[in-house]
Amino acid sequence: MEHIIDGFIEGIKLLLSFEGEVYSIIILSLYVSLTSTLISSLIGIPLGIFLGLKKFRFKRLLTRFLYTFMSLPPVVVGLTVAVIISRRGPLGHLRLLFTPGAMIIAQTLLVTPIITGIIFNNSKEQGEVIRQICKTLGGNRLDTLMLLIKEMRINILIGVVTGFGRAISEVGAVMIVGGNIKGHTRVMTSFIAMNNSMGNYSTSIAMGLVLLAISFMTNSILYKYIVGD
Amino acid sequence: MDINVKSLNKVYGNKAVVNIDTLTLRKGKIYGIIGPNGAGKSTLLRIMAGLEDATAGRMFYNESLLNDRILRNVTYMDQRPYLLRTSVFNNIAYPLKIRKYDKKTIENKTREIMREFKIGDLSSQLATSLSGGESQKVALARALVFEPQLLFLDEPTANIDPNSIELIEKVILKRNREKGMTPIIITHNMAQAKRLCDEVIFMDEGKIIEFGESKQVILDPQKESTRKFLSIYAM
Ligand SMILES: Nc1ncnc2c1ncn2[C@@H]1O[C@H](COP(=O)(O)OP(=O)(O)O)[C@@H](O)[C@H]1O
Ligand SMILES: [Mg+2]
Repeated sequence: MEHIIDGFIEGIKLLLSFEGEVYSIIILSLYVSLTSTLISSLIGIPLGIFLGLKKFRFKRLLTRFLYTFMSLPPVVVGLTVAVIISRRGPLGHLRLLFTPGAMIIAQTLLVTPIITGIIFNNSKEQGEVIRQICKTLGGNRLDTLMLLIKEMRINILIGVVTGFGRAISEVGAVMIVGGNIKGHTRVMTSFIAMNNSMGNYSTSIAMGLVLLAISFMTNSILYKYIVGD
Repeated sequence: MDINVKSLNKVYGNKAVVNIDTLTLRKGKIYGIIGPNGAGKSTLLRIMAGLEDATAGRMFYNESLLNDRILRNVTYMDQRPYLLRTSVFNNIAYPLKIRKYDKKTIENKTREIMREFKIGDLSSQLATSLSGGESQKVALARALVFEPQLLFLDEPTANIDPNSIELIEKVILKRNREKGMTPIIITHNMAQAKRLCDEVIFMDEGKIIEFGESKQVILDPQKESTRKFLSIYAM
């Protein structure tokens, strides 16, 4: 128990020391996860809405697939991406392995199904109601789409925040495709894992606190922006 | 707008839930639809409002088939209307916004109808936080703000307080008498049908059993099944 508290104190001290490496790690983490969340949102939001509204034969089957992909293990995604972009893989010539680009690709694959799934679910439930309301009030298809997005704004927010939370906190995928290279691909989670395995608990805890604070802040900002009207 | 229904059929599975030879509704009257649960009232209303497709049959609105131009002058309100997650004002202004009215007109028309419904003080309240009677008034104000010619209402005053019922009936009547709007209202309230509607349609098992002047149908029904249905409400 005592060494946990010590860890906390050490951690806060470390943070306040403004050590350069700590901050470049935080910035890289944010860059990688925000980029992948952005790409995933650009794909997942329209795709989820479209799939939710559309009537087609294999909708149930698709739902099941989506749910499976929503909970893909990061390590599996990391492995898959690594195989594809490794030097002998089909995309080997791009030389992406152990770069931030590779980490963005892996996290995008991880997050896109989450955002798509959440949006799909809501658009499936609300889509028909909104379509009808819009029709009875004289709206056309574009009006319906705009209204649906507006009515779903909280769900869209939840989807994006959930996706970002997944991206910033996963370690399996970034570790495999990024390699935790100091000054190049080292992010918060791989930093924590590494320090933990080396017995540097205080350092791990410090970074863990930062991770928590970032999650809290992004949620608050987005929430205020979207729900605060 | 007149409505002409010809050989209308709606089948779910192998059950015909609506089966109507002909039905003519005339502009400027107020119509009531009564009948037991499962009679097909809602289904008929939703088909006429363009929300559902019929299995077979045709409907004419002033001689033409349902199209986008007609739909813009038709509205429908559910028993539990869906209000948008925004203020009462924005809900009511919405139909005017999508019709691209200018800001000033939207503001004026919205304020005016809120006054008519006595909901001016709810203007900036979140619509999804209202009580049943308030929601109903907001939804109806939203449906009427663009002055539709046809108004389809599915049990608009079920489960709401008497004051709201009175107000809603008054507004419907006024719009009908002054602007020639044609309301078609499903109701389980026979007193309401008698006082508000010019003509009443009694439906049972998907068919129109009796159709005539409201007082006559309710007070002196000609068909056995109408009599039986009404006897339950006579108490
Ligand atoms: N989407 C649907 N699928 C299958 N059956 C339906 C559907 N909608 C309505 N029905 C059936 O059609 C019949 C008429 O329903 P409805 O029009 O709601 O009656 P009412 O409004 O007079 O109570 C009922 O037997 C109902 O179960
Ligand atoms: Mg009904």
